[in-house]
Amino acid sequence: MQKRNKYTEIEDFLSDESFQSWILNKIDEDGWEEWTLESRQRAKLVQDARLLLLAMKVPEHELSNSDIHRALHQTWIKIRDKENQQTLKSLKVRFLRKQFLSGVAATLFLGLMSAWFYNNYYETDSKVVTYKELIEENSEGLVEQTNNSDKPQIITLSDGSSVLLQPNSKLSYPKIFTGNERKVYLSGEGFFEISKNPQKPFFVYANEIVTKVVGTSFRVKAYSDQPDVEVLVRTGKVKVKSNDLVSKSDKEEIVLLPNQALRFLRTDLKFNKITNITQDAVLTQSVGNIEQLSFEFNDIPVSQIFETIEQAYLVNIDYPKNKLIDCHLTTSLSDQPLTEKLKIVCKSIGNNTSFEMNGNQIIITSDGCN
Amino acid sequence: MKTRTLPIHSIDDNTLWNNLKMGDEKSFSLLFERYYSDLVSYGNSLSPYAEKVQDCVQDVFTDIWVYRNSLQESVVVKAYLLSSVRKRIARLYERDHIFRKTASTDTIAFLLEFSVENELLDDDYATKEKVMYLNKLLNELPPRQKEALYLRYHQGLSVEQIAEMLDVNYQSASNLLHRGLLALRKEWKGSFAFITLLFSSTL
Repeated sequence: MQKRNKYTEIEDFLSDESFQSWILNKIDEDGWEEWTLESRQRAKLVQDARLLLLAMKVPEHELSNSDIHRALHQTWIKIRDKENQQTLKSLKVRFLRKQFLSGVAATLFLGLMSAWFYNNYYETDSKVVTYKELIEENSEGLVEQTNNSDKPQIITLSDGSSVLLQPNSKLSYPKIFTGNERKVYLSGEGFFEISKNPQKPFFVYANEIVTKVVGTSFRVKAYSDQPDVEVLVRTGKVKVKSNDLVSKSDKEEIVLLPNQALRFLRTDLKFNKITNITQDAVLTQSVGNIEQLSFEFNDIPVSQIFETIEQAYLVNIDYPKNKLIDCHLTTSLSDQPLTEKLKIVCKSIGNNTSFEMNGNQIIITSDGCN
Repeated sequence: MKTRTLPIHSIDDNTLWNNLKMGDEKSFSLLFERYYSDLVSYGNSLSPYAEKVQDCVQDVFTDIWVYRNSLQESVVVKAYLLSSVRKRIARLYERDHIFRKTASTDTIAFLLEFSVENELLDDDYATKEKVMYLNKLLNELPPRQKEALYLRYHQGLSVEQIAEMLDVNYQSASNLLHRGLLALRKEWKGSFAFITLLFSSTL
């Protein structure tokens, strides 16, 4: 604040933030009032600067936080669109350059374009498989859930399996699983906890790959605009292979064990198995809540268990706090989907304890523990 | 882990900018939240179409992310953003007036009117008069001088940054600012003498 002693021009004051805030917001943090009164000449200068500032107000239209968040969300959508366009464009450019190099005259340009379209329809189509095409393949009458919020959303499937769907992601699934297979379709990222049923294997279709499981938990990340697809396994065993739409031969099937992951490069249809996930920068960076939390409880208050579940699935659990205040449980819930976890907890508490689930709101009713 | 707990305001622009360049979405969002409102109000002073302005500001951020690899390393982030918004809006004008020949950033005019906030004036009548009069003078300044004043005193840019934005050299920018205030002061001094005279005589 010593610098103000050297102020000789109105401009010096005008650009001083502390001065501005004194005049416009009447917040005098630096003792301007006193300082001004120290000299007559100074007082005159300050008065002029003050009048000018007061005459130079601009109407303020502060946007609300929710406006800004909406705008930010909008911008991310624009970014995804633009990135999509760009990859398309670069594909086009590469293709055209090749053709030109092979010596096609410019007069044949038009013919070439139609050739390109032909290629595009009959070759690239079968190479890049996205969510949309996968959905069209299926005839089971799917339900689609899209997460446009900025928080993960929990989806419970008809077999009790749960999926934590990340923002900007979509999941399509049949309302009720019929037949001998359980199939769902993912665009984006989701953390899956599958209820065990060896008779009915569970399949996640995501871009060009298919992940097959019996009962386990794992994460799939397959954004249609990203160059690779990732699968990361937490518990159990999963098998991953490429979609038949990409390659007819089912020669390559990769088996993943807990804490193993795989990255599928969409451009050259190759699998890269990652045996040590802690060494992989991308994977370690993007670990969600649910993967960090432990579900091994040893004589732990029920309230703490509920809190862990709330954090993992971003749900609200309403339970009779007073009745359950002295209840402690020892249980392992790691390998269970959300509904299964709740079932186990309720059963362990006993005494007519049950739960009800409505979206992300869970209500527990209980008469206390044994 | 420690850096995580720092309040977001304490992370300076340049750190966020460089993180963003390396692909950190969080830093991008923080910068967005920090400046979106400011940029929209500046944009609104250049274009009467509020919706298009928001679009332009979002496009600026979109490009920053998509082309993050080719961003310069050391920039004054706020000045860069304001300047990008200005260019965007100029381009919008260009596109909407295809047949107009000259389409540079000069063609967009600063539309904002400076205002007086009445509740701030708990002064005597004479002071109020002065402020109103000054305000009128300010609003009669040429748009570019007004814009320079706005960027200097409302957005806190330096003279160098203003010069770069308005695409003039340092001296011209400094002149724009100075001339604005000078013209003002001249007229103001004269009329003040007059006003004081007027008042003292009526007393």
